Amino acid sequence: MTQHLKENLIIFALFLFNIASLQYLLYYLNDTYSLFVLPAIFISPFISMILAVVLTMIPIKSSVELKRKFIIFLTILSIILTMIVGFLLVEIRPVKFVMNFHKAYNILDKLFNPNFSLFFPMLGSLIQTIYLALMATILAIPFAFFLSFFAARNLMPNHFIPNTIYYIVRTLSTFTRSIEAIVWAIIFTVWVGIGPFAGMLALMIHSISSLIKLYSEQIENIDHGPVEAMQATGANTLQVWIYAVIPQILSPFLAFTIYRWDINIRMATIVGFVGGGGIGQALQQQQQLLRWSNVSMIMLMIAVTVWIMDILSAKLREYLLRK
Amino acid sequence: MILSDQLFRHSEWMPMSSSNKSLLEIKGLSKTYQNNFQALKKIDLKIQKGEFVILLGLSGSGKSTLLRCINRLIEPNEGAIIFENSDITQMSKQTLRRTRRNIGMIFQEFNLIPGFSVKTNVMTGRLGYLSTWKSIKLTVNKEISELAEQNLKRVGLQDFSKQKARNLSGGQKQRVAIARALMQEPRILLADEPVASLDPATADSVMKYLGQLNKNENITIICSLHFLSLARKYGSRVVALKAGELVFDGLPDEITNERFQQIYGENAEEIDIR
Repeated sequence: MTQHLKENLIIFALFLFNIASLQYLLYYLNDTYSLFVLPAIFISPFISMILAVVLTMIPIKSSVELKRKFIIFLTILSIILTMIVGFLLVEIRPVKFVMNFHKAYNILDKLFNPNFSLFFPMLGSLIQTIYLALMATILAIPFAFFLSFFAARNLMPNHFIPNTIYYIVRTLSTFTRSIEAIVWAIIFTVWVGIGPFAGMLALMIHSISSLIKLYSEQIENIDHGPVEAMQATGANTLQVWIYAVIPQILSPFLAFTIYRWDINIRMATIVGFVGGGGIGQALQQQQQLLRWSNVSMIMLMIAVTVWIMDILSAKLREYLLRK
Repeated sequence: MILSDQLFRHSEWMPMSSSNKSLLEIKGLSKTYQNNFQALKKIDLKIQKGEFVILLGLSGSGKSTLLRCINRLIEPNEGAIIFENSDITQMSKQTLRRTRRNIGMIFQEFNLIPGFSVKTNVMTGRLGYLSTWKSIKLTVNKEISELAEQNLKRVGLQDFSKQKARNLSGGQKQRVAIARALMQEPRILLADEPVASLDPATADSVMKYLGQLNKNENITIICSLHFLSLARKYGSRVVALKAGELVFDGLPDEITNERFQQIYGENAEEIDIR
């Protein structure tokens, strides 16, 4: 693509965006303040496309220097318009935030006074959550380990069948990963009933696809030298995997897995909210009953657990990756 | 001295070579990479048993590609590689693997597994002889273990067998790599700039081991190098590549200053290392 064409495309895109933003502003003003009645046709994407094309014609004819100035002007304009439209669309009301503080005071007061007597009754659920995350991670390892080899570009030769396998594994893993764990949890609570098993399944599905990605990227980054050396001895593909690939990836794999357990503990709480068991489910129940000091105690316990796990897993990962 | 040595060898091989029986014969070998870079242009080369061939040439002249084409770590586009009367380029995967056993290879970056012990690294050189099932139990294989000890002794590292490969120095790593290649009981050894990442003294000691293998066990060696002094000291023949073409083939002593500049470019000067 030539520089010339690129600049024209940028100008076109900027015009399109600015006109669309302006149209939204007009629409908003018309709707909220009934200042003036706009013809409906003016607020159509079709019109904005034509307008952008027509307006782009002006800079196309102009000199290079003028074109650069045009781009700068349009960029600044689009940033300003984005901020204005953003404020309107998200309904940001700073006044409300300051003036209505008294409404939250009651909840905040109780949140800062956790009910410490809840520690021992909740300890069971907390341990359940940690185990839930642990089991989800451990059970995900064999699936992810096996599949990650087929999702690594450098191990899959460029033939029809290996390519097909590669794309199937990659697509499936991206697809399952793009669906949030909370959605999986809802599916599994219907499937196997409310409880920790559903939560574990949700986290496990998510862990498998995430670990496939992390593992296969690690495989793609290995030093190719030992692979060549093993091939040169006359070793077959499986022997090359066992003696040149796996030794290089084992400790990073372990580090990633521990990191995943760490993430799973955090996600287990959220999964619990929709019936996935553990301390998340207890949190949701207390919140429904509006017992804010109980909620605060549970949140505190989760925070401390996540904090400890964070430090522990960071230390362990550091140790493993240094080796 | 070298000349007479060469003559002696030549006469020894006279009857065989007349009937066109070299150990390795490369015919019209070409390789063009996917980005249209032509690394090798119709290379013809005959190598007799027992030769110590030094490959000279600038980086990018095709030395590594040529070495890797011989055991098909890189697939050549055209040409034939006749090794012990069979064409490597035409082999099925199975046959290729069996042939690779006889072709050892060592690398500039040693390519050991850093987390494995020295002995396990050496033992992996035997993988080509084992079925997949047997290779899983490689580390407890008594025979191979003994063979590995013997080969470590040959490179003078018998006391290091239990150490992790990552804890060795560069020269020691390359000697472990030589021991690993010896596990294959190779008839030919390909060395891709084996001393390029070593200091001069260590480089010489590694070359000494290669020289011993060549003299005492009659293993043919093809070794790419950058230092002429090492080429003169250990090589029995020098082959030079320039931009994928063969530009020199002769005795090490035949490389004059003029020749050297032909290979390495006008402004090149020989850097002497001892």
